[in-house]
Amino acid sequence: MSNAQIEIQLIACIVAIACAIPGTFLVLRKMAMISDAISHSILPGIVVGFFITQDLNSPLLILLAAFTGIITVVLVEYIQKTGLVKEDTAIGLVFPTLFSIGVILIAKNANDVHLDVDAVLLGELAFAPFDRLRISGVDVGPKSLWIIGSILLITLGLLIAFFKELKISTFDKGLAASLGFSPIIIHYGLMTVSSITTVGAFDAVGAILVVALMIAPAASAYLLTTDLKLMIIYSICFGVFSAISGYWLAHGLDASIAGSITTMLGILFLVIYLFAPNKGIIAILYREKQQRTEVSLLTFLLHLKNHKEIEERHVNHLNEHINWQKVRSKTVLDLALKNNMISIDKNIVSLTAKGDEFTSQAIDYIITNEDTQIEDMKDDFFLFRG
Amino acid sequence: MDVTEYIKLVFTDYTLRTITLGTAVLGAVCGMLGSFAVLRKQSLLGDAISHAALPGIAIAFLISGAKDSNVLLLGALVSGLIGTFWIRGIITKTHLKADTALGLILSLFFGFGMLLLTFIQKQPNANQAGLDKYLFGQAATLVESDVWLMATVTGICFVVLMLFWKEFKILLFDADYTKTLGFNTKFIDILITTFIVLAIVLGLQTVGVVLMSAMLLAPAAAARQWTNSLGIMIILAAIFGAFSGVFGTAISASQNNLSTGPIIVIIAGIFVIISFIFSPNRGLLFKQIRFIKNRRDLQLNKTLAFMHQIAKTHESISHPHTVKILNNFQGYTRSTLQQLVNKNYVKLEGNMWSLTEEGFTKASNLYNQQTSDNE
Repeated sequence: MSNAQIEIQLIACIVAIACAIPGTFLVLRKMAMISDAISHSILPGIVVGFFITQDLNSPLLILLAAFTGIITVVLVEYIQKTGLVKEDTAIGLVFPTLFSIGVILIAKNANDVHLDVDAVLLGELAFAPFDRLRISGVDVGPKSLWIIGSILLITLGLLIAFFKELKISTFDKGLAASLGFSPIIIHYGLMTVSSITTVGAFDAVGAILVVALMIAPAASAYLLTTDLKLMIIYSICFGVFSAISGYWLAHGLDASIAGSITTMLGILFLVIYLFAPNKGIIAILYREKQQRTEVSLLTFLLHLKNHKEIEERHVNHLNEHINWQKVRSKTVLDLALKNNMISIDKNIVSLTAKGDEFTSQAIDYIITNEDTQIEDMKDDFFLFRG
Repeated sequence: MDVTEYIKLVFTDYTLRTITLGTAVLGAVCGMLGSFAVLRKQSLLGDAISHAALPGIAIAFLISGAKDSNVLLLGALVSGLIGTFWIRGIITKTHLKADTALGLILSLFFGFGMLLLTFIQKQPNANQAGLDKYLFGQAATLVESDVWLMATVTGICFVVLMLFWKEFKILLFDADYTKTLGFNTKFIDILITTFIVLAIVLGLQTVGVVLMSAMLLAPAAAARQWTNSLGIMIILAAIFGAFSGVFGTAISASQNNLSTGPIIVIIAGIFVIISFIFSPNRGLLFKQIRFIKNRRDLQLNKTLAFMHQIAKTHESISHPHTVKILNNFQGYTRSTLQQLVNKNYVKLEGNMWSLTEEGFTKASNLYNQQTSDNE
C-alpha cells in the first residue's frame, strides 16, 4: 500500500465516523431526509463562499456553506408552519430550488470558477491526498484529512458532552423540555453539526455519499439493536467497514471510490435487512407465519371447547367447518398434538387437560381485551412453536 | 435575443420548437401526477425514485451497449420501480420510518449508479459519453421522437386517469373506505405509483436526477393553494407545469450558459412562492389581512364594551366623558375611536365622547349571539 492509498482510506474512515454520529440521531428523530436536503442546498453556499475565498478548503467557506444548510432547515420549518403544504413537500420544494440557484450561479460564472457540479455532488476521494496542508513549508498531510478530522473531534466532543440531553430529547421531547433542556437548541445544534459535517465531507466524498454515510449505517444498526450507545458504535463500525472495503472494490474495478463505498453500504444494508435476527425480513416473515399458525391453533382449540358433540369434533368435519385447506389443517393438528393440547381417538379430536386450561385462559384474556397477554401465555404452554 | 425574436424562433426553429414542446408536455404530465404524489404525502418519493433510476440507466447501457434513449428509459423505469417497492417493503415490514427508507434507497441506488457510470467510462467503448446528462438533464438533447414518447405517455396517463378517476380520488382521501367498498386498493395503488415513476423517468433526460423531484412537486404544491377540488387542482398543476417548462426553456435559450433544468425548477419555485403569498383563501398575504381585520374588529368591540360599562353607571347614556378615561384601556386607539364615530355609535365633541342610542344598544347586545346584526 502506498502512502496515498493509506491516506485515502484514513480520510474515508474518518468521514464515515463523522457522518455516522449525527446520522444515528437523524434516523432516530425521523429527519433522515433533512440530511439529503442539506447536502443539496449547501451548493449555493459553497459557490458564494468560493467567490469570496477562492479556496475550496477554507474554513470560511465551510461555515458559509453550513449556514446555507441551516437556512434550509429554517425555511423548511417555516413552510411547514404555514400549513400550506404537508411537511415532506416543504423539504421537496426547498432544496431543489436552492440547488438550482447554485447550479445557475456556477453556470453564470463558469469562466472564473474552477468548480464543477459533478465534483460537488460526487466528490473525488482519489484526488484528496494531492491537496496538502503545509505549515511553514512542512507537509503535514492532506488538507481534507485535517478538516474532517477537526470536524470529527468537535462532533465527538459535543456528543460526549451532550449525550444525555441528545438522548432524552430524541426519545421524549416533552420530558426534555420539562427537565429544562431546550429541545430547540438541541435540534438546531444537531442541524448545525450535520451541516458542517456535510460540507466538510462533500469535497472528499460528494454530497450524495454523505447522505448514504449518514443514513445507511444508522439504519442498518437500528435493525440490530435498540440501545442508543450500541447503535452509535455499530454505525461507526459499519461506516468504517464500508469505507475500507469500498476503497478496495473501487481499486479493483477502477471506478469511483464514493460510488463503491455506497455500494458496499448498500450490500451491508441488504444483508442486515434480510438476515437481522429479530427485525430482518426473513425473521419477520417467519414470525408472521408462526403467528398465523398459532392463531389458527387458537381458533381450532376454541372450536373444540365450544363443541362437546362428537360429530362436530371429527377430523374431516373440522376440515370443512373451519374452511381450512388440507395442509393448513394438518399443520395445525400436528402442532396441537406436539404440544399435547389435543388427543385424537378414532378420528375424533378432544382437548386434553392442558389444552382445556390453555383455552380457558385465552378466552379470559380475549374477553378482557388483553389479547397481548396471550403471547406471554404461549411461552408457558408451548413446547413447540408454530 | 429579445422576446419577439424568440417567439418567432419557436415557430420556425426545429430544435427550439421540439425543446419547448417537450418541456411543456413534461411539465404538464408531471404536474398532473405530482398532484397525487403531493396529496398522498409521497412528495419525497419523487426524489428517491429519480435517484434510484440511475443504476437502471447504467445497467441498460451495459446490457444493450447502445445509447438508445428508449432502452435506457426502460432500465430507469425498472430500477425506479424496484426502488419504490423496496421503500414500501422497508416501511411496512421493518420499524424503520419512511424518511429513513427514502434516504437509504435514494443514496444507495445513486451511489451504485455512480459506481456503474464511472465503471462504464473506463470501458473501451466510444458510445458511453453523454450518459451523465441524466444527472443534470439536457433539454437540448430532446428530439422529436422523445417528444412523441412524452406525448403518448401523457395521453395514456390522461385516459387512465379518466377511467379510474373515481377510484383514484377515493383512494386518495379515504383508503380504508375504499377497501370496504371492495375496490382492489393494491392494484389502484400500484397503478398510480407506476405512473408517477413513469413521469419521473421521462423527466430524467430533460431536468435530470437531482431536480426531478421539484418538477413533480412544485406545480402541484402551487395548484393546491388555489383550490380544494381535486379536478381543478390537477388541471391547474398541469398548466403551471407546462408554463414553467415553456418559460424555463425561453429564458435558458435567450441566455448563454444556462442549463434548462435549473431554470425550469426556479420558475416553478416562483409559481409556488406567488401561490403561497397571493392565493385568496390559503395565501399568507390574505391570511395576514384577515388576521389584522379580525384583530381590529375585536379592539373595536372591546372599546365599545368598555364605554358601555362606563355609560351604564350614568343616568343618561349620552352623558359626555373625557377621552382621557380611555387612555388606560388597551383596546383603545385614535383610529378605533374614529371608526366608532363613523359607525355612528359614538359622538365626539372636542375631548369628550358620548355613546349614542344606537351605540348603547349595540354594546349591550355585543355578547348576545342571537342578534342578527352581530359582526
